[in-house]
Amino acid sequence: MPSLVILVPLIALLILNLPLGEVMRKASFWVALGFFIFQTVLLFCHHFRCICGSERFINSFFGMDVSVDHLSFMVMFLVNIVALTSLLVARHAIKDSDARFNFINLIVIASAGMNGVTVAKDIFSLYVFLEVTAVALFIAIALQREPRALEGAFKYILLSSIATVMMLTSIAVLFFAAGDTSFASLKSALQVSGKSPVLLAAIGVFICGLFIKGGLVPFHGWLPDAYSAAPAPVSVLLAGIVTKVSGIYTLMRLVAAVFGFKAAVCDVLLFGGTLSILVGAFAALGQKDFKRMLAYSSISQVGYIIVGLGTGTALGIAGAIFHFFNHAIFKTLLFVNAAAVEESTGLRNMNKMGGLSSRMPVTGATSVMALLSNAGIPPLAGFWSKVIIIIALWVSGRYAYAVIAILAAVVTLAYLLIMQRKVFFGNIRPELDGTKEAGPGYVIASVVLAAITVGAGIFFPYVFDHVIIPARSALLP
Amino acid sequence: MDNVILLLIVGIPIIGSCILPYVGRMSAGLRNILALGFVSASLAGSLMLVPDVLAGKIPSITFSFPLGCNFILCADRLAVFMAIVSSSVGAVVIVYSFGYISHYRHQDEYYFMVVLFLGAMMGIIFSGNLIFLYVFWEITALASWRLIGFYREPRDVLRADKAFLVTVFGAFVMLLGFLMLYNQTGSFDLAAIKASLKTNPLPDMAVFLILIGILSKSATLPFHTWLPDAGIAPSPVTALLHAAVLVKIGVYVFARLFLVTFTVSGIWHTVVPWVAAISALVSAGAALVDTDMKRIIAYSTVSQIGFIFLGLSVGCPVGAAGALLFILMHGLAKGGLFLCAGIVEHNTGTKNITRLGGLIGTMPVTAVSFLFCAFSVMGIPPFGGFFSKYLVLAGAVEKGQMLVAFTFLAGAVLTILYLFRLFNMVFLGEAKGAPAREGSPVMVLSVTLLAALSLVSGIYINYPAHFAQAIVKQMSGM
Repeated sequence: MPSLVILVPLIALLILNLPLGEVMRKASFWVALGFFIFQTVLLFCHHFRCICGSERFINSFFGMDVSVDHLSFMVMFLVNIVALTSLLVARHAIKDSDARFNFINLIVIASAGMNGVTVAKDIFSLYVFLEVTAVALFIAIALQREPRALEGAFKYILLSSIATVMMLTSIAVLFFAAGDTSFASLKSALQVSGKSPVLLAAIGVFICGLFIKGGLVPFHGWLPDAYSAAPAPVSVLLAGIVTKVSGIYTLMRLVAAVFGFKAAVCDVLLFGGTLSILVGAFAALGQKDFKRMLAYSSISQVGYIIVGLGTGTALGIAGAIFHFFNHAIFKTLLFVNAAAVEESTGLRNMNKMGGLSSRMPVTGATSVMALLSNAGIPPLAGFWSKVIIIIALWVSGRYAYAVIAILAAVVTLAYLLIMQRKVFFGNIRPELDGTKEAGPGYVIASVVLAAITVGAGIFFPYVFDHVIIPARSALLP
Repeated sequence: MDNVILLLIVGIPIIGSCILPYVGRMSAGLRNILALGFVSASLAGSLMLVPDVLAGKIPSITFSFPLGCNFILCADRLAVFMAIVSSSVGAVVIVYSFGYISHYRHQDEYYFMVVLFLGAMMGIIFSGNLIFLYVFWEITALASWRLIGFYREPRDVLRADKAFLVTVFGAFVMLLGFLMLYNQTGSFDLAAIKASLKTNPLPDMAVFLILIGILSKSATLPFHTWLPDAGIAPSPVTALLHAAVLVKIGVYVFARLFLVTFTVSGIWHTVVPWVAAISALVSAGAALVDTDMKRIIAYSTVSQIGFIFLGLSVGCPVGAAGALLFILMHGLAKGGLFLCAGIVEHNTGTKNITRLGGLIGTMPVTAVSFLFCAFSVMGIPPFGGFFSKYLVLAGAVEKGQMLVAFTFLAGAVLTILYLFRLFNMVFLGEAKGAPAREGSPVMVLSVTLLAALSLVSGIYINYPAHFAQAIVKQMSGM
């Protein structure tokens, strides 16, 4: 599958590693920045051609895989946005130029892997791309060789390799049944012998593997450690997009294209999702560490996406896709805020901060927007996606799940308000009086992300009609 | 033309509020003028709608959106009345803020949030769709969160969080109720819901869920505790929050949904008056023993909101007209009380009434304004509060709910007691501490204006009463 989206990152990687010595090391940030912007532009060009129905221009050069549908487009767009953010954060946060150069290489590799995941049409290539992404991230977490980061990376490797074994086993069983690993033939094989307990077990094992990758309860143990121990730009990348692409997007794609919305699958998703919502939200209430709190919040929010998917209805899946989009934006923004605070104060313990929004106005204001979107307060984007998921739950008759989803939103607001109160709202602490904004990279990234989240909320009807509904049609034709 | 006005009434303050912080960077004076201008634009727009709605027209404007989330603005008499009350008190509060807030930090955020709040209030009032009503409802919660935490002390911020959480909890529960409605009727549009509910009443569960949201917003028992705590906010904010606008949101939405749109089963005509009665009595008792000036007035608000709920829920036109009048009278008078308390606090540095006394000597205008507003809240003729309280009680008696009427009568007696106690302790007796000066001219002007309006609206009671009757006529579909 020599697709452009895999090829371009690899070319960028080659350019980055041209034997030019110090010149390239200094230029690496700009090369990577240029690459991601180029890729975003390319994506939009291709996407518009998709809409206009004339993608021959690009295909005539590269034989572009037509499996790039609207959902893949949306996810790849998010990959680019988050990678750009991570790059901007890395410019300030990683001081050592060697380490920064290595990290930039790793982002490009990870983006190649994630692009691959979004366009893969067979379950084995999907697995390969997942591993490419994961390996790049193992190294990135441990990049600065601090003991805590090594511990986090080790946990991630351990649980990821368990997930790998589970997924490979399942792929082997499915391969035996279908004689092929492409989504289409797996689907038809499952339709023929869908009742076979071995195949059902294989599906269950695969879903468990993806739950580990996506950090869902009860397989979430690695996630808070990895998120909070990783260097700032890595946690932005990991929390913003990597877990979502490798766990959640894959789950959406496989459930829709291969497993089908069977009652058993839907029940597992609803239950697992609700459990994640609750455990994540209540665990986040008690956290002192800024990034750890955000990590638990991620677990909780990812639960909403899974619950939306678990309804199996057109509305629920639209809500899940929308929440996927929103969560990628506002959680990245919150991690950028956390990184900015850590950069300028050197603190991660929220009890030692206070009143920072008077010294870091952009970080403070954008964190309020991310908070409101995260807690589902209108008119921000997070409200619309949550409300769509809840309407879908209610309409499909799952009243208890709808009630839990609504009440968990109050807990979400509670822990985010605690964070806001301890870190940004309030009077400035005397010892933090000299704090300033962390740097232009943080400011640019947070303003752009906040603009997306506010814009998507206010222009919700247009976003819903032109992005979410086409993306859903990729899952439910 | 009316449609454009309707869009401008909501649009000008909401969009305008967003530019205030940037204007504030350049010039504080221009920012203040603009803030007043945006709110006055809403007031002017609402006044321009009066002749048309009195002629029986219902201007409305609709934008269709997916999933039944149509953006509908619709101005009937009830909406226009509420809009005039809220925006006029809002405009006075902004004028008062020019003096009160001028030497604090974060002023840009203050004006941003106050104007945004009033704009969102206009949105709630004119919204013809439940989802957008909810959106504006939450924007007001968000604005009041920032405003209560204005002084940024740890205690302020904690209480701001409390108010935000209680009202958002209520709102989420209310959203569940809206979803039940959507499930039954297939629409969020109030007009469509009304048409489809004509034949079958709303399930009691949905009524209960929506009521929780309303009670938490209007600080009625058992969700009232955030309101006295919110008294740590700057005085213009507490006046705005408590008196004119925030607590009236719950009352207004109650009237809009339960009187205009839904048919609910008869049991609610007994349950809601009793909840209101208990709320009125308990909070009046709390007001009688508290020593914090602003907390007393806040408890008094909880108590008076009970009267409004009684009038609206008892189910007869006289009571409803009285409740609507009381929304106006209470808005003016309670706003005045809070602003007077603000002047006292501003110039003496304390809210504790045991440390105050004899202020009538040094701040006579404030004291008289306070007394006028207090008379109106107590229901002394010829102040506006008297007529509205009388009509509410008459409504309860007409419906044969004697026990409820007596409970409220006891509440009214308590109101007289605690307000006289407050006036005594603060303004009469011996002066304690350093003599305080009278407030700045704009602040005194604002309170005098509200006190005078309380009196004038009572003397010329036939104008607002006519309007209230016209509203009730339209609400009951005649």
